[in-house]
Amino acid sequence: MLELINYNLYINDKTLFKDLNLKINPGEVHVLMGKNGVGKSSIASSIMGSTNYKVDGTIKYNGEDITNLNIYERAKRGIYLLSQMPMQIEGVTNAEMLRVALSEKNNAPVNIFEFSKELEAICNSLELDKSFIHREINVGCSGGERKKIELLHMWMLKPSFIILDEIDSGLDVDAIKLVASSLNKYLKEYKPAILIITHSDTFINSFDDCYVHLLGDEKIIKSGHKDLAKEILTKGFKELSDTFVISEN
Amino acid sequence: MNKLLVSDIIDLNDNNCILNLVNNDITINVYGDNTIYLIKEEINNLTINMQNKSILRVYIKDNDIKNINNITINQEDNSKIYFNVSCSNNDNYNLRVDNNIKGNNNESYINIRNISNNGLSKIIINVLVDKKTINNIAVEDLKGINNGGFVHIEPNIVALSNEVEANHLTTIGGLDKDSLNYLMSKGIKEDISKKKLLEGFLKSNMDNYINENYGGD
Repeated sequence: MLELINYNLYINDKTLFKDLNLKINPGEVHVLMGKNGVGKSSIASSIMGSTNYKVDGTIKYNGEDITNLNIYERAKRGIYLLSQMPMQIEGVTNAEMLRVALSEKNNAPVNIFEFSKELEAICNSLELDKSFIHREINVGCSGGERKKIELLHMWMLKPSFIILDEIDSGLDVDAIKLVASSLNKYLKEYKPAILIITHSDTFINSFDDCYVHLLGDEKIIKSGHKDLAKEILTKGFKELSDTFVISEN
Repeated sequence: MNKLLVSDIIDLNDNNCILNLVNNDITINVYGDNTIYLIKEEINNLTINMQNKSILRVYIKDNDIKNINNITINQEDNSKIYFNVSCSNNDNYNLRVDNNIKGNNNESYINIRNISNNGLSKIIINVLVDKKTINNIAVEDLKGINNGGFVHIEPNIVALSNEVEANHLTTIGGLDKDSLNYLMSKGIKEDISKKKLLEGFLKSNMDNYINENYGGD
C-alpha cells in the first residue's frame, strides 16, 4: 500500500531522515515513536504532501510513485492525515466541506437524505452533538471535539491510508478509549493501513497487533511490536536509543 | 422577512428586516432590539442614531459594493451596535465609518471583512469615546485579504475617557496557506478550496443571521 523507499527528508537545510525504508500494507497498524523534535510529525506531513519539506527518494502508494503529487492528488487517492491540532476554518461548515469533497470523490452530486442520515449516525457513534454538522469546521472547539470532528470526516470520506499524528494528545482516558474504539471499528470494516504517532500505551494497546518503530537521529533505530512500545515507555527514549545505537555498532 | 424601502428617515423599533436604501442621506433612528440587512450598490451619508437601551445588528454583504462612505453612528446611553460589513471588490473601494460614543454604558462592535481582487480597498474606521463617559466598550475587528488587489485599513479608536474598554484587531494578508492545504487534504481541488475559503471569510462575519437567510449552509 504505502512504501517509503530510500526516503530522505529535509526541512530548510536540516536533514531529518536519511535512507529510511518503510512498507505499510492494508490492514496493518504501524506506530512511530521517538523523542520530541525527532521529526515524527514531519514524516506525517510529508506523506500527506506538505510543501514545507524537501523529499528525496520515493513514496509509493499502491504501486504508484506519488512523490511529486500535491496534497489534493494524494487525498484523492485515499491518503488522510489527522493532525495534532486540526485547523479552524471560518465560514465553512463541516457539512458544506464534506458535501463538496464527496461529490468530487464520487464524481456525482451527494444524495442529501443519505448524507444527512450517515452524518447523524456517525455523530451518535462518536458521542458528538449533531449541531457540529452545521457548525464551522473546528471553530471554537476544544481539542477533544476537534479530534472527533476529524474522525467524523474520516468516516464520511473513507480513506484507505490514515495517518494519526498524536490524536490522543489532549484527550482524557474515556475520550482515548472512544477514539480507539472508533478506529478499530473502521479498521475491521475497511481494512485501511494506519500510521500512528503517539506516546500513549493505552492507545497502542487498543489495537490487537501493531508494528512499532523507534525513530532516532535520521533513521529508524529499532522495529518491533507492542512489547517494544512498552519497553520504550518504561525505559525512555534516551536510554533505549543509546542501547540500540551501541549494540548496532 | 420584511423588506422596507427607505428614502430619508426611518424609525426602527424591534424590527428584523431588509432595508433597501433608495437615496443617499438616510437617517435611521433605533429603538428596541433590531436586526437589519442593508441593500444598496453605494451607500453615502448614512446616519444611525442609537436611542437609550437600543440594540442594532447591521449586516451589509455584497460581492461588489462600490463605496460605503460617511456612515455615522451616534450612541447616547445604554445602546449596543454590531456593524458587520463583508464584501469582495473588483475595483477601488472606500469604506468609512465614524462612531461617536457620547454617553455611558454603550457597546460598539465594528466587524469588517474585505477581499480586494483588484484595485485598492481603503477602509477607515474611527471610534471616538467622549470625555467624562463611563463603562463603554469599543471593539474593532477588521480583516482584509489581498487577492490580486490591495487592502488598506486604518483602525482608529480615540478614547478621551479613562473608563473605557477598547480593542482593535486588524489583519491584512493573503489567503492562509495552511487552511488551503487543510481543505485540499480532504480531497477538494485547489481552485474550489480557495473559493470556499474566500466565501467562508466573508460569511464568518455574518453570524447565523446571514447564513440562514441569505443562502448559507
